[in-house]
Amino acid sequence: MTELTPADRRFVEFDVDDTDREQAGLNGHTIEQLSDYLDRGRVPADPSIDDSPDCEIALRGLERLRRVQLSLLDRDLKRESLRDDNWVASILDNITLEAHAGRDIPLIHPSPTARLVVTEGAVRGILRETGDKLQNVLVGRCALFGDVGVPGVPITISVDVTVFPEENIPLVADRLRQAMYAVVAQHTNLVVTAIDITVTDLSIAPQASAQGQEHT
Amino acid sequence: MPGTVREQVASPLDTASDQMLADRAADGDLRAFAVLVRRYGPLMRVYATRVLGSNDETDDVVQESFITAWLQLGTLDDGSAVKSWLMRIVSRKSIDRLRARRPHVNIDDTDAPAPDSHAPHALAEAESQTEALARVLAALPEDQRRCWTLRELAEYSYGDIAAELNLPVSTVRGLLARARKTLLREMEEWR
Repeated sequence: MTELTPADRRFVEFDVDDTDREQAGLNGHTIEQLSDYLDRGRVPADPSIDDSPDCEIALRGLERLRRVQLSLLDRDLKRESLRDDNWVASILDNITLEAHAGRDIPLIHPSPTARLVVTEGAVRGILRETGDKLQNVLVGRCALFGDVGVPGVPITISVDVTVFPEENIPLVADRLRQAMYAVVAQHTNLVVTAIDITVTDLSIAPQASAQGQEHT
Repeated sequence: MPGTVREQVASPLDTASDQMLADRAADGDLRAFAVLVRRYGPLMRVYATRVLGSNDETDDVVQESFITAWLQLGTLDDGSAVKSWLMRIVSRKSIDRLRARRPHVNIDDTDAPAPDSHAPHALAEAESQTEALARVLAALPEDQRRCWTLRELAEYSYGDIAAELNLPVSTVRGLLARARKTLLREMEEWR
């Protein structure tokens, strides 16, 4: 179709306000319909659009608009990402960690008057950190199931992890489970009967971590 | 659509999936949240600036958006949808700002007057196409620009835009069609 339509021919004759004139200039179609047609990847093919030189010119204009739009977005994003990091810091400064503290988990203490607790959020943090210390695995969501507020009540822990390719998944899961049991026992009095590990995603090993491994 | 920016310090979290980052942030991991802020903050800033028509309030709007996001992350069921979820929050905050800015005017009817500099013929040679598009966008009537930005930057459906702006879908279609036609017509002047 493109060959039949001179590249320098312009379509400017449609009227922003008048749909009838718009359709008259576009073989019965509107710019909106042509735009939707482009969004669909021009399938199913519509000969009344594809065979119309006027539509072809309009489609070319729409495609150009889209290209310029993307390069504008690209330019704006580049400009924004070249800013210093202060704006990130100021956002993080205004955030309160208490929002995700969760339930209080009592700690057993020899003194009858002392009441010590660790928050659920802190325990999740310790579990995450334990995973982060292992290689080729990233810990996602951690959840504690059961009544953590009553000492001695058995609970279970459920953990989502991402394992990088070429790792032995059962081996990694086992290593992680043992490390988590140890760290929970070290920091809390929780009675953990099971740690369920779900591998949710096999990540492509990121460049950053591959470099990190070479140095360790 | 490009939505990411340069990576910062090398850490496995920097390249982690949105799902992983959203899940960790929902569990209270500030480092994961910081990666999300770096990953989508620039797009949210571009977006808020476009909707608001200037960058005077961009810092505030984006900051408020991320604070809201942090507090409500637990309500996000699908972490892999965190980008559109963030865009929705910043949309809402931006629109709230517009409403607050002119409490006596019904923003749905407002047409911003075209600035004096709106003279594509004279400027066409001096500016690049991207600069020209930025200028024509800025000169669009506010309601058209808002619809266009929701559609093209936030990737909203027509129905979502209608719900967000409290307008009938037919009105949204009309506004988008007018915006697109105006942009197309102006573009013909640039080449």
